Amino acid sequence: MNPAVLHANLIETLSLTMVITSVAAVEMRRLRLSAIAYLCQALLMVSLLVAFGAANTALYWWAGVALVTKAILTPWFLFRSLRGIDDREVKPVIGLGPSVVVACSLMWGFFHLAHGQIASLAPTGMAQLDVYRTNLAVASTVFALGLYAVLTRRDAFKTVIGLCLLENAVHLSLVSLAPELPETALFGVATEVVVTVYLLLYVIGGVRQEFGTTDTFRLRELRR
Amino acid sequence: MVTQTSMIPAVTFLLPLAAGAPVLFWKRIDRRVQQGLPILTAALVTAMGAWMAYMAVNGVVLTAWSNELRVDALSALMVLVIGFVALLASVYSLRYLRLEGLIQRVGADAAAGRMRVFYGLLLWFFGTMLWGCVTNNVVMLYVAIEATTLTSGLLVAFYWDRRALEAGYKYLMLLTIGISFALFGCVLVYAAAAATKHLSGGNALLISEVRTVVPFIPGGTAALAIAFLVIGFGTKAGIAPFHPWLPDAHAEAPTPISVLLSGVMIKMALYALARTVSIFYPSWPQVTTFLVVLGIFTMVFGILMALSQDDLKRLLAYSSVSQMGYVLAGVGLGTYLGCYGGLYHLVNHALFKSLLFLCVGAVIHATGVRRISALGGLRHRMPITSGCFLLGALAIAGLPPLNGFWSKLTIYLALAKAGLWWAAIIAVATSFLTMAVMVRAGFRVFWGEPRPELAVKEAPAVMWLPMATLGALCLLLGVYPQAAYPLLDRAAAVLATLGG
Repeated sequence: MNPAVLHANLIETLSLTMVITSVAAVEMRRLRLSAIAYLCQALLMVSLLVAFGAANTALYWWAGVALVTKAILTPWFLFRSLRGIDDREVKPVIGLGPSVVVACSLMWGFFHLAHGQIASLAPTGMAQLDVYRTNLAVASTVFALGLYAVLTRRDAFKTVIGLCLLENAVHLSLVSLAPELPETALFGVATEVVVTVYLLLYVIGGVRQEFGTTDTFRLRELRR
Repeated sequence: MVTQTSMIPAVTFLLPLAAGAPVLFWKRIDRRVQQGLPILTAALVTAMGAWMAYMAVNGVVLTAWSNELRVDALSALMVLVIGFVALLASVYSLRYLRLEGLIQRVGADAAAGRMRVFYGLLLWFFGTMLWGCVTNNVVMLYVAIEATTLTSGLLVAFYWDRRALEAGYKYLMLLTIGISFALFGCVLVYAAAAATKHLSGGNALLISEVRTVVPFIPGGTAALAIAFLVIGFGTKAGIAPFHPWLPDAHAEAPTPISVLLSGVMIKMALYALARTVSIFYPSWPQVTTFLVVLGIFTMVFGILMALSQDDLKRLLAYSSVSQMGYVLAGVGLGTYLGCYGGLYHLVNHALFKSLLFLCVGAVIHATGVRRISALGGLRHRMPITSGCFLLGALAIAGLPPLNGFWSKLTIYLALAKAGLWWAAIIAVATSFLTMAVMVRAGFRVFWGEPRPELAVKEAPAVMWLPMATLGALCLLLGVYPQAAYPLLDRAAAVLATLGG
């Protein structure tokens, strides 16, 4: 097979697997499994950045930053905060079936948008190429799934995983939108995500201690 | 306009960041140093802000680090306001946040560490806000604004009780999500500017350079970028309907932090919104109508929510939402008069909202109560606080001859001049509602039925001096509004990219 076609196929496969890991991270009822799904997604993202690096060597640096911040530090914080507690998720508002439908609809919608309106979404020459369009569609889907998790999951820990998905999507979208972004800016963006996750988990630890639950829907009622 | 290279813009934000590190990490630091460093740093920053304002008024733009940092009149105005409010909040903290009081609330073991965290993060919070005002890099603007959330998140949850934890969680989560949209907006602006081929890679990140190539950016991309920037920075600025984090955070944080959140942080986010979106006004004037509508909606929504509050701090928080609507309606117009009014109101709101929060803090410090229905008749025992609150309430309502009157009048005139009579009428009506809400609250707390169970006395001088200073400034800018003209004139010209 033509190496260029093989390369494109590899990128598309990795991209689509990103969506599957997102759904898994949102839908797993055991929080540890959810964190593992997130870890898998982070590793997939690093692989994807390495694959894109063949066309733009600056992305190898991005892959390194993503490896440290998203595949090592963030999962470490997640697993550490789950240590010694019951990791069953508080029952979410929307279950697996509707979530899969939402994920498929989002994927379909963003795929059409990225291939039909690319000039508005990503005004760079490189982004007009097919693999970058698919990448943008996947990033948008993962972003929307992260937002969906934050809005529909009652468990504060799960909302943090939703936030992590959302931030992964932002990182991935930069490949299509701004591949020439200077390292300092990228480093600033990536570092803040790690600090945010750390602080949120720290506050959620306090919430668990004070309220005896991490059910975000009950916080207002319980604080009285 | 003359450009001059200077290290002052860098020192302005690096100084608080550097001062915060030992306070935060050096466990054996003396308490007087802990409390003194924020005051000293804020005083130095205010002095640097005043010098930068002087240079800006004389037509000098200061730059550093190859134009990565850039201080024009607008940035100088923001640095001056942030420095001054932070100075007063730091002085006020000396008595408001005492170790003895904290020991009662969080226990002896945690109290000393908590004090260190408070002052250390206060300095970092202060530094990150200043960074956002002096940076010229569109992506670093996002980084700085997100950094203000991270440095203030633990300050919002400072008391670590149920209310504070809920507020801290909401604050970190909602602002991080919101600001992610701003990142998309900033990156789109950069990508679109780079794609025009009129700017080299690094220059496409500089807001001052991007301005020059906006006409070449495709319409769809511009619309998308504006939408993301408004959602992202609007969330942080407390613009409705993106404001749900604000009432909890402003109410549950310790009062000096509420002063910084309501007095300057939300303004700094609005500054970011205005700085980035205003570059699109000449090519996309329809944006201005959208921003004015959003501003009007915010001012009405905020004051209606404030009407039903029994918690003094939540009432002030919702009133901040409403007042941000005025600022947005002004700067959103894009005309010189609108921008002048909007920025003038930004400065005035920083003064009278800080004043009102400090007064409420004094009441809480004295009584331990913040419910309006549980307070009453405090004017005899707290005459300075009650006088300052009344002054702040009348100023925020826009009553002459106080400062709020002039900035609101300028916004009404700008809206009317732009033919948006409906907006001007709603803005005037909202002012009357503001007066009703604030005066009613003040009357019930200070003039209402005295509560014998509340054995209180006036706040100590360290607390009432900042209040009196702010009150005096509200009066001064009311009777002599020309005092602010030279700097506001230059700052408004930066944002006013439309004629009229």
